[in-house]
Formats: sequence, structure tokens, C-alpha cells
Amino acid sequence: MKNKNLTYYFLILLAVSFFSCKKEGEYHSITDKIEAESKPYHGKLTSDELLAGSELMEITEGKHTFLILERKGQIKSFACIECHSKPVTQMKSLDGQKAHWDIKMNHANSEIINCATCHNGKDMNNLNSLTGKNIDFNLSYKLCAQCHSSQFEDWKGGAHGKKVAGWAPPRASMTCVNCHNPHSPGYETRWPVQFNTQKGIERKEGLDH
Amino acid sequence: MSENKKWHSLDLGLNKKKEASGACGCGKSQGSCNSQEEELSADEFYEAAINASIGDERQRDGFEQVFDVKMDRRTAFKKLTASLLIGAGAVSTSCSVVAGDDTKEKAQIDWEEQFKGNYKLMNDEEKQGTINRLMRSYELRTGKNISMTAENAEEDVLFGYAFNISKCQGYMDCVSACVEENNQDRNSQMQYIRIHEMKDGEGFKFDKADDNYYHEVPAEGHFYLGTQCFHCDNPPCVEVCPVQATWKEEDGLVVIDYDWCIGCRYCMAACPYDGRRFNWSKPEVPANEINKNQHYLGNRMRKKGVMEKCTFCVQRSRKGKNPACVDACPTGARIFGNLLDPNSTIRWVLENKKVFRLKEDLGTEPKFWYFMD
Ligand code: SF4
Ligand code: SF4
Repeated sequence: MKNKNLTYYFLILLAVSFFSCKKEGEYHSITDKIEAESKPYHGKLTSDELLAGSELMEITEGKHTFLILERKGQIKSFACIECHSKPVTQMKSLDGQKAHWDIKMNHANSEIINCATCHNGKDMNNLNSLTGKNIDFNLSYKLCAQCHSSQFEDWKGGAHGKKVAGWAPPRASMTCVNCHNPHSPGYETRWPVQFNTQKGIERKEGLDH
Repeated sequence: MSENKKWHSLDLGLNKKKEASGACGCGKSQGSCNSQEEELSADEFYEAAINASIGDERQRDGFEQVFDVKMDRRTAFKKLTASLLIGAGAVSTSCSVVAGDDTKEKAQIDWEEQFKGNYKLMNDEEKQGTINRLMRSYELRTGKNISMTAENAEEDVLFGYAFNISKCQGYMDCVSACVEENNQDRNSQMQYIRIHEMKDGEGFKFDKADDNYYHEVPAEGHFYLGTQCFHCDNPPCVEVCPVQATWKEEDGLVVIDYDWCIGCRYCMAACPYDGRRFNWSKPEVPANEINKNQHYLGNRMRKKGVMEKCTFCVQRSRKGKNPACVDACPTGARIFGNLLDPNSTIRWVLENKKVFRLKEDLGTEPKFWYFMD
């Protein structure tokens, strides 16, 4: 008798759990949904058209492969050796005129960094790693990554920096120098572009909650 | 033009009536009628207009009209109020001998727009129909062209957003880009995005935060945090809408059909994030500043008395672009992408940064995450 009751209970339990099953496509949380429906996107939408006007190159860093903007073509006075035909020390005192007069170093302090930290006076067409190896101007992010390693990790993943255009693949990211001036990388204080006078009035009148 | 009418899809048992009175009394959508209808006296005309717009419903009392199962509440309201006027106007102009063809076409469009169905229930052809009408109507009214689209949600796409609190400097470039992109009312200076300036060390105190600062930023000892509609996966605003004028699309965007909204503002009260904005007056945008690339559910021109809010720039995102705020931000604090794509940058952020959302305990499941460096 007792056994029979137990069986009934079991059957009822089974039935209840069967009917209370959630509807297809419903998840407990958004993270469950993302996990369950996750799949690499190869749909109709792409950023190809948006990127058509940009000179891009593909890089692979760790697990990440993506496009970045080509740099050399954007530097007005490249190639540098067109002027820098002699070592810098010999060029310095030629006449009073200074090239690059507009460059003001505002990047850490002179104990840590000076021109030669990144530039090689003997090979101006390339950048210079901390150990004296050449780094191509197009891959200048490698230079920054020597010190800014956590920013570099975030940039590779996509948490730091901006995309060139569009959310859809392919991924094309701006590099460090597209947003930061390497000689003065900090962001300036400035006035906000928007001011809501209407809100100001309402606040004065006590209408704002 | 006379097939494919929006109001046919609402089966209220009134279809026959409307079909007959559709374009105008004589069944023509353009040109003049030479029937005796122009001779109607004012009273007779009024009678005809009522017949045309509510037909049988007139014979029933208010209770039946509102609660009869064959008719939903919105239809009842519409029929009893605005439809009467617009319907009467349409009948009068489209049947008049003196009105020009443009005026008649305008009236015809007004009529069809008035009685179209809920966008959510439309098939693609019907969606195309309504955006064509809206574009034509804009052209007739202003002599200028706009381009309006009605892209549906893409498969395998679920939009999500991440905001880096450490990066935001309070410049408000996003706010201004949003206003321009989305044709927000310049009169009331409506803004979907708010940037809250908060004191360091005091945590998130939204009541003490300033979202309308005007001084050089970033200000000493402050940090900045942006809010807008978070496109909740379990949106309370959708739940409370009495007429289903707002809903969640397949790609996760929470949208509003401005033509279906009755302006009750329930959704505004239900949103725990202050994500919605109401048009207390007729929204105005200078003609030369109007963004002409529009989406039905996005930045098309709104009218007085309807709700609106951030749509993650549906007119852009459904074409593969970033929302305007993401592109405008000079600091890279705003990250947007496809949550379902494991290779997307937004997924990397969610999986590798310490992310959180506002009022997570409410269970609204916003698709808008915050993180810090
Ligand atoms: S943030 Fe507010 S308006 Fe936006 S989906 Fe969530 S509840 Fe609705
Ligand atoms: S105001 Fe909000 S709740 Fe009311 S009808 Fe419009 S969308 Fe729906």
C-alpha cells in the first residue's frame, strides 16, 4: 500500500515537472541565453562597406586576429630618412630652424622616457624597442605595450579603444596612436559639448524631481 | 492602393463596411467624385463621416464598444475620438471637387495611416506600405524627401552595450551626437543619454549626481557615468503598456510604435532606469538639421503625446553600424556589439572584465553593462 502511494507521488512529481518545463527559448537570465545561443556570426551584416575607405592591415596578437589602420601613409613626413640623412646629433645645430618644433613631450618624465626610448637616431625610419630592436611604424602599438601591458590586454580583447567602424565583423580597431598623441598621450580637460538650458530652468523652478 | 489596406488585418467584423467606404464615398482614391455626395449638408456629412469611421459601432453603447471581445481597447478609443475628425476630414477632402489631387492624396494617406495595424503584427509588405506612405506624406507636406526603412531584426544577433566608467570624461559628445542622429526635440532639449557626474568615494548616488553640469571636465574629484535605455531582456516597460505599443524585438531592441502609443506614460513610470522620454509638446527640429536616414522604429519624426527613447540607433545598428554615441565618444568608453557572437569585443568584455549592471536585483536583465579598467 505504502509503495503504491509512493509510486503515485513519483508519477505526480514527474507530471508536474514535465508541465512546468519552461517554454522553448526562455532562459533564466540573459547570461544563460547568451551561452545557449552563442555562435560565431557570419550573417548578412558586415562592416566591409564602412571600412572600404580605410587602409587596413591584419595583425595577430595572442588569440586575437583583427585589422588595424595602416600608419605610415598617415604620417605626413614619412619616410623620415628623407630629412634624417645624417645622425641626429649632427643635424641639431645646423641653423636656428627647428623641425618638429610643435612636439612637446608630456609623457611620463625624463627619467623614464626620452626621444631615444622610442626613436633610433641611427635608423629614423623605424621605431626602437627597449632592447634596441626595430619596430615598424605600422606596429607602433608594440612599443606602447612595453609599458602599458594592462591597456594592451584590454585593447586586444576590445575593452580599451575604439573600432574603426561598425559592430559587425570584420573587426577593425584603432591603434594607440589613432586616439593618443604619443608625445602627449593624456586627454585634455575641456567644456562639455552639450548643455540643457531647459533642464536648468526646470530645476530652478523646482520642477525637477 | 486600395488593396493592402492596413485596417483589413484587424478583424473586427467591420471589414465590409470599411472596404466600401475606404478611399472615399465613391471608391476612388484620387480625382474627384461626381456623385451627389458633394451636395451633402453639414449634418448629413457628419453622419456619413461617422458611418465611414465607426459604422456599426455607433449603434452600440460605450460599454459594448470598449469591452466587446471583437474590439480591443485601442480601437475603441481611436474610433471614438481622433478617427472621427480625421476620417471626416479625409472623406470631405477626397470627395470634394475643389480639393487638388495632392490634398486628396494627403487625406488618403492620413486615412490609411489612421487605421493601420500595430507594426509588431505587420508582415514585410505591410511595413513597406506604411513607410512608403510616411515618406510620401513627408514629401507632400514639406516638398523634401526622406529615406525611411523598416529592416527587421537579423538572425543570430542580440545587441548589447558596455560602458567603461574609468574612461568616460564627461565630454557629452555622445549626448549631442544622439540628439542629432535621432531627431530629438530641440525645443524641450530632449536627451536620451544622461551623463551623471558623481563625487569620487561616494559610490553611485544618482540623487546627488549632477546630470546637467556645465564646467570644464573631467572635474577634479569626480567620475562620470552614462545612462540611457538599457534594452532590458525582461523589460517592465513592455509589460505595463496597455496597448502593446512597445515591445522587445528579436535582436533585443526595445522599441516603440509611435503611431500606436496612446501616451499614457505607464512605461515611463515602470522603467526603473529613467530610460523613457515623453513628448509634452510637438517635437521640433530645424529643417536643415533633420537626419533623413530614418527607421520606422527609430529616429523618424515623432508627434506630440507619444513616448520615445534610445533604440540603440536601430536605423544604424541594423545596417551593421555602431550607434551614434559609440562612434562619437572620443575616449572609447562605449562598446557595442553582438552578444551572441563569441568573437565579438562585447563578449570579451563580459567574460574578462568585472562587469555589473544597475539594479540587477530587480531582474530586469538590462543588456547594458558597466565596467572599470
Ligand atoms: S531601461 Fe527602462 S525603458 Fe529601457 S527596456 Fe529597461 S525598463 Fe524599458
Ligand atoms: S506611453 Fe508607454 S505604456 Fe503608454 S501607450 Fe505609449 S508606449 Fe505604451
